[in-house]
Amino acid sequence: MNVQAGDSIPEWVMESVRPERMRTMAAILRDPNPVHWDRRAVAALPFGIGERTINQGPLGLSYILNMLMDWAGPTSVRRIVMRFPQVVLDGDRVIARGTVTAIREENGVRLADCDVSLSREGEAPSLAGTATVALPPE
Amino acid sequence: MAEIQPPAEEIRALVGYEFPGGKYTIAHWENFLLTECTGSEPLPGDLVHPVVLFHMPILGAGTSIGGMFALGQAESDFSIGIESYDWEIERPLHEDLEYTVTGRVTEADRMEGPRRNDRPGVYDRIQFRFELHEPEGEFAASSTITWTYRRSAS
Repeated sequence: MNVQAGDSIPEWVMESVRPERMRTMAAILRDPNPVHWDRRAVAALPFGIGERTINQGPLGLSYILNMLMDWAGPTSVRRIVMRFPQVVLDGDRVIARGTVTAIREENGVRLADCDVSLSREGEAPSLAGTATVALPPE
Repeated sequence: MAEIQPPAEEIRALVGYEFPGGKYTIAHWENFLLTECTGSEPLPGDLVHPVVLFHMPILGAGTSIGGMFALGQAESDFSIGIESYDWEIERPLHEDLEYTVTGRVTEADRMEGPRRNDRPGVYDRIQFRFELHEPEGEFAASSTITWTYRRSAS
């Protein structure tokens, strides 16, 4: 796999964040926070979001993981560090993006350090962070 | 200045707190449903989607999301904010493998200023670190969770 610093990672798109997936996720996570499954609870908050549930942080992060695994393979992700400047809501169309910032070698494995993000088209990132990915042999 | 509860000393004293620890085995059904939630096809073989690194260490360490809210004396579920998640994967995770899980509080402090999407104010910043080891003792992965707990003056 020929990768260089500055390369873009192919985008991964979630066409519509689905509330039923948040509900399944909440059950698996045993997450008691109603912002993920009760639209009226969200509407009652002073954030002006309206009746839309808030996607779990790890779910948004998983879209970036999907992008990285589609690019470099299912066991490629070695580290991901993520911040969450904005929320992702049900019905949102979000795009995972990434750029390689450096290539290095560690214990005989080629690693790509990347800047990664998740955002609605034309908007500032809802999630932003860094990832380290093990590259398949060239 | 109005008094903030709990006292900052109680929050700072959380550093070093250890969860009971325990074992966790990721079942196929759990991996399947979790992966479907991400919008991905199932990964090949018995590989587990790395998004499991959020809840599996928490539950495996003998706590829960609600338990972590309570440990930091959250005023409500709505008062919690995410600062960051940091996941390291040394060895790919597999279904039906019993992982040993440990977890502890690594940082805890009172802060003042704006949080994400929120008005300025007082909040507590608490960092948790969880580690997973394979049955033979090999380090597999870690999850570092940093949350903020908004405080209102009493």
